[in-house]
Amino acid sequence: MTSRHWQRNVFILTFILPTLILYCLFMVYPIIQALYYSLFDWSGSSENKDFIGLKNFVDLMHDPIMWQAIGNDYFLVAGKMIGIMLLATFFAVSLTRFRLKFALFFRSIFFIPNIISVVVIGVLWAFIYNPQIGFLNSILSLITGTEVKTAWLGFPFHTIWMLLPPSIWAGIGFYMILLIAAIQGIPESYYEASSLEGAGQWHQFTHITLPLIWEQIKVSVLNIMMTTLNGSFVIVMIMTNGGPDNSTQVMGSYLYQMAFQQFHFGYGAAIGVVILIMSLITTVALQRIMRQETVEMN
Amino acid sequence: MGSIMGIRHPIIRIFFYLILGAWSITVLYPLLWTLLDALKDNKQFYANPPWALPDVPLLWSNFTYVWETYNFGKYFTNSLIVTLGSTVLGLVLSATTAYVLARYPFRGSNVLFLLYISSMMVPFSLALIPLFFLMNKLNLINTSIGLILVYATTLIAFGVFVLVGFFKTLPKELEEAAAIDGASYFGTFFRVMLPLSQPGLVTVAIVNILNIWNEYFVGLVLVNDPDHYTLPIGIAVMQAEMQYRTEWGPLFAGLFISIVPVLIMYIFFQRQIASGITAGAVK
Repeated sequence: MTSRHWQRNVFILTFILPTLILYCLFMVYPIIQALYYSLFDWSGSSENKDFIGLKNFVDLMHDPIMWQAIGNDYFLVAGKMIGIMLLATFFAVSLTRFRLKFALFFRSIFFIPNIISVVVIGVLWAFIYNPQIGFLNSILSLITGTEVKTAWLGFPFHTIWMLLPPSIWAGIGFYMILLIAAIQGIPESYYEASSLEGAGQWHQFTHITLPLIWEQIKVSVLNIMMTTLNGSFVIVMIMTNGGPDNSTQVMGSYLYQMAFQQFHFGYGAAIGVVILIMSLITTVALQRIMRQETVEMN
Repeated sequence: MGSIMGIRHPIIRIFFYLILGAWSITVLYPLLWTLLDALKDNKQFYANPPWALPDVPLLWSNFTYVWETYNFGKYFTNSLIVTLGSTVLGLVLSATTAYVLARYPFRGSNVLFLLYISSMMVPFSLALIPLFFLMNKLNLINTSIGLILVYATTLIAFGVFVLVGFFKTLPKELEEAAAIDGASYFGTFFRVMLPLSQPGLVTVAIVNILNIWNEYFVGLVLVNDPDHYTLPIGIAVMQAEMQYRTEWGPLFAGLFISIVPVLIMYIFFQRQIASGITAGAVK
């Protein structure tokens, strides 16, 4: 019996330890170190590493680019939430409740952008926006009959708007699949009962579908927020590299620029800490807001 | 009346088909012109609108050109090695831990589970600065092994999360029967549980393969030697160079080379990808 007990412990340790060691080395340790580095003025070499307390954060507060970047981050969060959720919900309902033909076919097609690298998507959309030979200007030239040469990614203001269509285009499929699974989990009898009472599609959507998939909508909204704050910088780096004149900078791309291009590693780490704080605060705030919504619904 | 039957009115049905058809085109058309534009030379890009069909003879040589001259052949191999290596390692790391957490809970196992899951909340870009220096110290910058180790670590959270749920659904009697038959803990895992958990493992593997194949940022930080670029880095570098030397056809050929493998995987494993999404999102 004791030998079985001993065997069990050996088994547990062999299965737990390798994962835990790698995870601590390449995940936990770097994260803790990043919090520590954020307190230093550090150019990467060990000689030039001065402890400066919270000065990086104070400097950040007075850094106009950081505020621009945070504004852009939340612009993308809000724009993607609205655009993706509206279209994903519309498609999910259309492909389940409306009993349309080819629903499975449409579903497979709509997911395709989600399997393509953001790098590829960024390059494709940069080509759509290309001033000389891009799709957008070519179509506009065709329609207006005059040659259009707009630099869609070069406006001094609001260029960040141009990054919204590719981000929404690329995001819909994932959330559509999530919502389709949720809608398919709703018992058919609910719809039968309400349709006996003469309820139409819209009534069923607001009174049955929406309340019963609210949990998945919440998960989707939180997920959009998190992936945007933690990952939207890739499309920014590919399409505009933060420009023109930092107007499309987001926190992630600013972190990369500060740390790995200008070698202010302490400042970069402080930006990373701010991203972490932003996503934690926003998670809590969104959960609050959406909990109230659920109460209102009942 | 009768909306259990879906939408009946023919005109409204046509309206919905039009919308769904239009969105299908916005999704599929970019893939089509990626291929078509990969077969053009620069002159065609500037003389004709982007939707014009490529001139005959088609410039298939753009593919060999980007494969050889722009080293996409090498990038492709690197991507393949790194993706498969980290997927396998990530699967081993998460399946073993998930099995113990699901079946042999011990004191602190809940804390361990939370420790893994919580990394899904933390922006990985935060960890990348120290990671860059750590990898430097370990001489793992510009190596496939380095990328594999880091990627595999980022896959643990999702793998553990999905597989703990999966192992919990398997009947306990199987392990008890195996134990009565005198099988060791390891034997039970490898001969009984692992074969049974194949659907869960495949789902996790497929989702991970897609993620790593497409990953850009970690690679950008940990690799700066062209010999070790993966495809997304190669594409980004090539696009940045377009400011100085424009070779649109080869660029599109490069994009297409990167899309084809995941597209083929998607065609075969659609169901697993969908179940991976739903399993991973139930937080």
